[in-house]
Amino acid sequence: MLGLLPPLNDKNLPWLDVIHPIVVHFVIAMALISVVFDLIGVVTGRRNLFEVSFWNLLVATVAIFVAIIFGQIEAGLASPYGAARDILNIHSTIGWSLAGVLGLLTGWRFVVRQKDPNRLPGGFLAVDSLLAALVVVQVYLGDKLVWIYGLHTVPVVEAARSGVLS
Amino acid sequence: MSSTWIGLGLISSPINEIADRLGPNDLPYSIPIHPNLVHFTIGLFAIGIAFDFAGAFYPLEKRVFRFLALPVTRVGFHDVGWYNVLACSVISFFTVAAGFFEMLLAVPLPGVRSVLGQNAIDTMLWHAVGGVALLLIIVAMTIWRAYERFVWRRELGRQVSWLYLACGTVVLLLMGLHGSLGAWLASEFGVHITADQLLAAGADLGEVLP
Repeated sequence: MLGLLPPLNDKNLPWLDVIHPIVVHFVIAMALISVVFDLIGVVTGRRNLFEVSFWNLLVATVAIFVAIIFGQIEAGLASPYGAARDILNIHSTIGWSLAGVLGLLTGWRFVVRQKDPNRLPGGFLAVDSLLAALVVVQVYLGDKLVWIYGLHTVPVVEAARSGVLS
Repeated sequence: MSSTWIGLGLISSPINEIADRLGPNDLPYSIPIHPNLVHFTIGLFAIGIAFDFAGAFYPLEKRVFRFLALPVTRVGFHDVGWYNVLACSVISFFTVAAGFFEMLLAVPLPGVRSVLGQNAIDTMLWHAVGGVALLLIIVAMTIWRAYERFVWRRELGRQVSWLYLACGTVVLLLMGLHGSLGAWLASEFGVHITADQLLAAGADLGEVLP
């Protein structure tokens, strides 16, 4: 069975580079800018910004499922060590939770927009900001996995393969 | 093994003067800022262009959206295109600034070559020059987009010319290549990655990384 899988490169990946961080651009940027546009829309009264934030939120919601698929595959090939194991577990849990939160929020927004695209319920911006906070935490954890623990970087994969890491 | 560190000690570099204030990742903080800002530059530009495409092909999609009973307007799509590209322009100045700051402190692993056969300094310089060029291109695209929206095509339903969309697509391809150079600086050359730098210094990750 294992022979059917593609061979892994020196980053322990079946493809050239990690794909999860690329897909994640569209979750991070779209989710956070959506909150910013909502805020500017409320403050300045530019109602057309609500349309901009709605579509950005929708893109973030679609993108997070793609991000999770690649995230799970690449997490499975990551061979985390030390505290990176716990961080990866929390990162995965928050990732799936974010999919739920983003889905619910987009659904709520969709219903609100069907009724009146120029109105934003007061509570939405508050929940929106909680979403932004959760995204920031999630980015921080992902950053730790890459920039501190170096998962899927050549030297760390090399060390893991030679049995130096545990 | 520890040639990076020996090399740094011998070569008189301004980094030496502040070396004791930098972490094992050669930065004064644990997580690089540039790669985080990059999410916005790439995400906002790509989705901005994508929604202008959606606005341009609106006559084709109209029936689909009506079938789905989803209220959409062409202006709405073009608003996403315009405001996302505008936000991209603003944020990208910070992306490039952070990139240059972190490049000044970069200590790439020696003896590595990327998939393109480039060594560290070539990759880094191409990424730096490309970054400035891309910033200028993004800003130029935004100004172009503003003229299309407010002057040239103000009366028209399709707010962007096909040339703008074609150029946007080319810029996205360039961004992909450019982003790959940046990704390799991390994943192959170990720039600002704590674990990679510690391994190069001969440290035992099991002990030094909690």
